[in-house]
Amino acid sequence: MSHTHAAAGDLVEVGGLPWRARIGPYLPSLVVLVAAVVYGSVSSPYFLNFSALLVNTGRYVEIGLLALALTVVIINGDIDLSVASNLAVSAATMGLLVESGVGIEVAAFAALAVGLGLGAINALFIVGLGLPSLVVTLATLALYRGLAQILLGDRAVTGYPEAFIGVDQISLLGDWARVPLPLVLFLVVALLFSVLLTRTNFGLACYLTGSNQQAARFSGIKTDHTRAVAFMLCGLMAGAAAIMLTSRLGSTLSNVGLGLELLAITVVVLGGTDIFGGRGTIIGTVIALFAVMAVRESLVISNVNGQVQDAVVGVILILAIIVPLTVAHLRERSSQRRLR
Amino acid sequence: MSTGRPGVSWGVLIRVREAGIAAVIVALIAVFGLLNPRFLNAENLGAIVLSVGILMILAIGQMLVIVTRNIDLSVGSVLGLSAMVMGMVGRDLPQVPIPLLILIAMAVGALAGALNGVLVAVAQVPAIIATLGTLAIFRGLTFLVSNNVQVDPEDIDDRVQDLAAEGPLGIPWLVIFAIIVVAVAWWFTTRTMTGKRLYAIGSNPEAARMRGLNVRGLTFLVFVTMGALAGLGGAMYVARFATVNPADAGLGFELAVISAVVIGGTNIFGGSGTVLGTVLGTVLVGILANGLTVVGVSGFWQRFASGAIILLAIVADAFVRRRIEARQSQETTVRST
Repeated sequence: MSHTHAAAGDLVEVGGLPWRARIGPYLPSLVVLVAAVVYGSVSSPYFLNFSALLVNTGRYVEIGLLALALTVVIINGDIDLSVASNLAVSAATMGLLVESGVGIEVAAFAALAVGLGLGAINALFIVGLGLPSLVVTLATLALYRGLAQILLGDRAVTGYPEAFIGVDQISLLGDWARVPLPLVLFLVVALLFSVLLTRTNFGLACYLTGSNQQAARFSGIKTDHTRAVAFMLCGLMAGAAAIMLTSRLGSTLSNVGLGLELLAITVVVLGGTDIFGGRGTIIGTVIALFAVMAVRESLVISNVNGQVQDAVVGVILILAIIVPLTVAHLRERSSQRRLR
Repeated sequence: MSTGRPGVSWGVLIRVREAGIAAVIVALIAVFGLLNPRFLNAENLGAIVLSVGILMILAIGQMLVIVTRNIDLSVGSVLGLSAMVMGMVGRDLPQVPIPLLILIAMAVGALAGALNGVLVAVAQVPAIIATLGTLAIFRGLTFLVSNNVQVDPEDIDDRVQDLAAEGPLGIPWLVIFAIIVVAVAWWFTTRTMTGKRLYAIGSNPEAARMRGLNVRGLTFLVFVTMGALAGLGGAMYVARFATVNPADAGLGFELAVISAVVIGGTNIFGGSGTVLGTVLGTVLVGILANGLTVVGVSGFWQRFASGAIILLAIVADAFVRRRIEARQSQETTVRST
């Protein structure tokens, strides 16, 4: 893979660029979003019910939180396949604490701490020992899921306090506009991530690390520090997603969130983040989350089986990479022909 | 990541590595055997050989894929899809002969592999993303073709089930197939020009291309091979378990396969890996999974253990590699002064 694109292009204000260049990275997710909405409204008259759609966003916020942190990890040129398993351990910890009589606030805080801790363990192996993130997180994907299974066995933890259950049912503005609380929380976190990436030295360090780690290190960027922080952020978001998911479901099983890493990575890549690092935006990830949500919801409403829904997301993931590559290739070829 | 590989030290590393895995295997057998003598009885050893056999067929393919600096995460779904198609053909058309059924499973796998190959080699989608996508796609296809109905044991020909029980000299066909795959792969990687080119591609794809190697063609070929082997694994799955469930068959198998390959010392960044290492890695994974169950460790610990052992393997690898590199740089310093 060639890495000719400059990271700087993503950092400077793009005020003077033509609309095509500005919207380019978001085009795949926008196309998917529009296509899914059209498909959904054609296949069912109930699909385009705005307030129902808003309520359903609650179900995707967990994926969104994972995707936000994964965007940073992937921009760094790394990957974290263990996020969903981390989520399971965090949720299991929270469940066991609540069961043993600990207050829900403390238990939720513990979920965040466990998530952060498991992210730090990933960072220790990957950055500290210099091991490839792909294999390390493939191993911790199994390790953490196993840990959740050891903690919970095959039973379900229930017994969460009533007040904690159903965060997705809380609307912020009452009946006037049913904006679910998780959606608002997600957008706030997304804004924070966006500021982190575009307005801080850490963000700059991420893009430079992902573009060319060696060059970044030689120019004084603390690449190890940057990568480690990203993995810990990822862990923290897994803990946060665990809290949201538990509140939404009201119970915890060891297989909670199984396979969410596929959806989260799909969201990040569909949103225009380069899987090899150096490029990507939070806005792209947010748009892609809504696109994936529209796809899933339109399939749910036309009664498509869960595994087939996953398959459709898989197709979209691949197309999201192939189509822009092909378009760029064709454009290059036609411009060469013009030169001749 | 260092991709430069000084010839001598790498050979040493691999030998140290293989001896290490062999020692761990012996130690595991001793420990499991002491904890529960039933581990060493003929019936249990037979069960280990059968599960190692299926895993081996896929691990050899995965090793070739990883050597070319790619990865195939879809192998479990390909196994499921080909097992499902074979099971359904056997159920609905009982007159189809057994060898043809196996070929059908392999053809389905090869087709799936060809899709992966086109995505990676032609469309230039990174292998991890392409196969993460096809992992979901092939699982969804398994649902669609089967209409979410499983193939039951009574629908599977007894002669198919015998493949995992009988064969020439009393060795089950399943094991014979695994041995053939290992032997051919050993010959291919050490004795043929094409086999050696795979390592060149994985070490440095750009240099391989400049030297005129058909990188795309060979990458495609490797993915098709992987698919066909996953198809053969699917056929053996049908033989061994005599039931194909669209949700279960091969689910999560990619993890065991990649564990076996990585434990066997294949560098995840491509360019190095041996058939012997992969065989040892597969045996270790198979013994560990079986031994934990026989010793009475709860099934809940198994996933944890498989994750822990991959981590251990790559950490050990990194330490050995660093020591060898350090010693080598020391030697060069001594020589130059």
